[in-house]
Amino acid sequence: MAKVQGVAAQVNEAVAGRIGAGLRVASQGPPDTLRLVVAPEKLRSATEELLRLRARFLITVGIDTRPLTADYRVLYLFSLDAEHLFVVLECAADPDDPHVDSITSLVPGANWAERECRDAVGVTPDGHPDPRRLLLADDWPEGLFPLRRDFPYDYRPPAAGGVAPVPKQPPEGASVLPIGPFFPVLEEPSYWRLFVEGETVVGCDYRGFYNHRGIEKLGESVLTYNEIPYLAERICGICGFIHSTAYCQAVEKAAGIEVPRRARYIRSIMLELERVHSHLLWLGIAGHILGFDTVLMQTWRMREPVMWLAEEISGNRKTYGMNTIGGLRRDLPAAVVPKVLKVVDEVERESVAVRDAIVGDTTLLARTKNVGVLTGEWARQVCVVGPPARASGVPIDARLDHPYAAYDEVPPRLCTQQAGDTWSRLLVRVEELLDSIRQVREGLARLPDGEVLVEVVDEIPRDRIGISVVEAPRGEAVHFVMTGGDNRPYRWRVRAPTYPNLQAMPAMIDHAAIADFPITLGSLDPCFSCTERVEAIDVRTRTRRVYSHKELLAMSRDLTRRGGRR
Amino acid sequence: MTTAPLLALALALLNVAVALLLSPLAEGVMRKLKAIVHSRQGPPLTQPYLDLLKLLGKEDLRTTGGLPYALAPALSLGSVLLLATLVPLGAAPPLGFAGDLIVLIYVAATSAVALILTAFASGSPYAAIGGSREMMMLLSVEPVLAVALVVGAVKAGTLSVGGILAWNAEHGPTISMAIAAVALFLALQAQAGKLPFDIPEADQEIMGGPLIEQSGPRLALFRWALWAKQLIFALLLVQVFVPWPHLGIVPLDVVLTLVKALLVLVLVGVIDAVNPRLRIEQAMGYYMRVALSALAGLAFAVIGM
Repeated sequence: MAKVQGVAAQVNEAVAGRIGAGLRVASQGPPDTLRLVVAPEKLRSATEELLRLRARFLITVGIDTRPLTADYRVLYLFSLDAEHLFVVLECAADPDDPHVDSITSLVPGANWAERECRDAVGVTPDGHPDPRRLLLADDWPEGLFPLRRDFPYDYRPPAAGGVAPVPKQPPEGASVLPIGPFFPVLEEPSYWRLFVEGETVVGCDYRGFYNHRGIEKLGESVLTYNEIPYLAERICGICGFIHSTAYCQAVEKAAGIEVPRRARYIRSIMLELERVHSHLLWLGIAGHILGFDTVLMQTWRMREPVMWLAEEISGNRKTYGMNTIGGLRRDLPAAVVPKVLKVVDEVERESVAVRDAIVGDTTLLARTKNVGVLTGEWARQVCVVGPPARASGVPIDARLDHPYAAYDEVPPRLCTQQAGDTWSRLLVRVEELLDSIRQVREGLARLPDGEVLVEVVDEIPRDRIGISVVEAPRGEAVHFVMTGGDNRPYRWRVRAPTYPNLQAMPAMIDHAAIADFPITLGSLDPCFSCTERVEAIDVRTRTRRVYSHKELLAMSRDLTRRGGRR
Repeated sequence: MTTAPLLALALALLNVAVALLLSPLAEGVMRKLKAIVHSRQGPPLTQPYLDLLKLLGKEDLRTTGGLPYALAPALSLGSVLLLATLVPLGAAPPLGFAGDLIVLIYVAATSAVALILTAFASGSPYAAIGGSREMMMLLSVEPVLAVALVVGAVKAGTLSVGGILAWNAEHGPTISMAIAAVALFLALQAQAGKLPFDIPEADQEIMGGPLIEQSGPRLALFRWALWAKQLIFALLLVQVFVPWPHLGIVPLDVVLTLVKALLVLVLVGVIDAVNPRLRIEQAMGYYMRVALSALAGLAFAVIGM
């Protein structure tokens, strides 16, 4: 920790040297976070200095701090991965006419973040290259900003009339091929307009955020600290535990709560089990996109025992409801450990077989090699995270860069590839799948005894910040919490991994064949609900049946009696 | 090859009946097979029949007018049924004549042309892309079919399908015929619209391509034509190029041929289940290589091997 403090001091010095006056270190904050308050006119040069130190942009957080400081604040979150340090640049904006300088020209990856901040809080980024609406619906009235403190969470403004989305114009001679908002291989709404010449994509336009339901607003205005984990868990239908862990860790960091070791180990184990089933799910979807449904059917069959395992541990296949501030609500029973080992052994055996089959498949190679290439340089510029970054030779992994849970004691192996194509992303995920299984085994072997929950007796102090990152199967998820009164955060900000990754898409499909669009998008393992922070509802069965509470209870008990076997 | 007119008519009706009534069963077998590879239970063997019945009972919705668009489904199925009468089933083709090989090659392309017409008329960008892909596939696969048949023609010294059959049955396997048979089998994968060559339909890319705007009875006819076509091509392959054992007893030969054709389709189904979809230019390159290899077969035929 002393080392991190030293680095923080150096960074502070470097930024101060660059911008001279107009810098102030905010006193409070967790030890791995350096919070610098910069004067608005110095924001861009401070950013340049951080980029020179190889800082990676995470996200912006716009906060309506008028009740506290009589202005708006925009926080720019950066990560110095090799130094294990977060740097926050905090910038004030005029309360009557809030503006900040756009940093998108320096960091292309800040594009959406700045637009979202404008849509939600109303702080306009001056000089933004594409200032179109991002987050809000097209018929949302102008001048209403939902994340401002004086905007009631349940207010439904009347729809504005005479509005339409502002589409990008296709280049001359190209025609438009719409993909979405609903499309067979997109599990969720997402609207791409491909500009095509014959079979070649020459450009594209994206409109998303159809799923936005204001989860952050709900957390800041209605729920309490200990209720939010259940909402956070519902941000994503696949990696729910990741979001609840990330949120809890952010609050724990802000409040300085030490989580028991056993709870940290169990968090690690559950996170890795989630990665196992998520990567198997992805492999199946990738196969399906290429028309290779045998892969889909087999990987999803292999995945099912992991889901049953989760059900046996937590009571639910998904959305475990285990996390809470200070640890876990539910211990891992000793009796379940041998079952976990048995399941992961089986999954490992079958995954190795699938890997060997895939690696030898020339047709699959022909469809993924040199397809959707993301260069390492562009991946850094757009701040891509997770397997897409690692497949492009960017060696980042939140589990190693900002260790949390038990990853400091059971670290993952960094899986990287250099080519940046769909094939590399596939290889990275398959390797990670096998490494996750190893981590589950090691975690169980070293699982310490003890409590899984520390009681939080003191009130969580106000105005502290906590940044927590969790390496989701799709990449790094960022949760930011600024504590407030009323037993709830003043501001809760979520950035899912798909958020930066999707922004890399236009470059990846430039001059690709139409046939390569679905697998390129699929190779990012996009999660639109996550990105848009909503509850994803999976409707698989076509038949509808309403079960009474009694029936459900009977079914659930029956299943428990059979030990989770169907 | 002279057959009594009444017998020829009966055999023609038999061929049409087989193409219409047995092709959904062959499709059902292929679906079941795919399900087994998937570790699924799969639909019942009769599912394709039920699909057809359901679609035929639905409302006829059209996205556009015009005669070519209106007639395309009927043209598609009709051409396939005509093709059925030109293909041998246990005996010489019922409506065969001296130059029927040339007619067969043209008729074989007609159902694809009907699909392309529909695609471009339906006014959907997905259909347009599917239509142009269908056209590219047709242009790549037809030469393979033509070269394979010409190999047979050169070898047997006749332009009649029945003549090639008779020659083959009498003389036994030869190198050139074997090459032609393999080429025809590889073409069958695309003719049947199966992976890795279901590129014109590519559900995950262009949502069914030419068929995206088709529904109800029109879709039923297109589907039926496709299923009949894959069965007919399998029959053509096993009869013309692998006619042994040729017993000379028509009912037995018919059953034997159907069993062999089903085995060929099973193989097609396995390939379908274990491959991802190729891109269009990859498929075109592949069939160009197949056509060139088939030309090697032609060279063997010319030198009498």
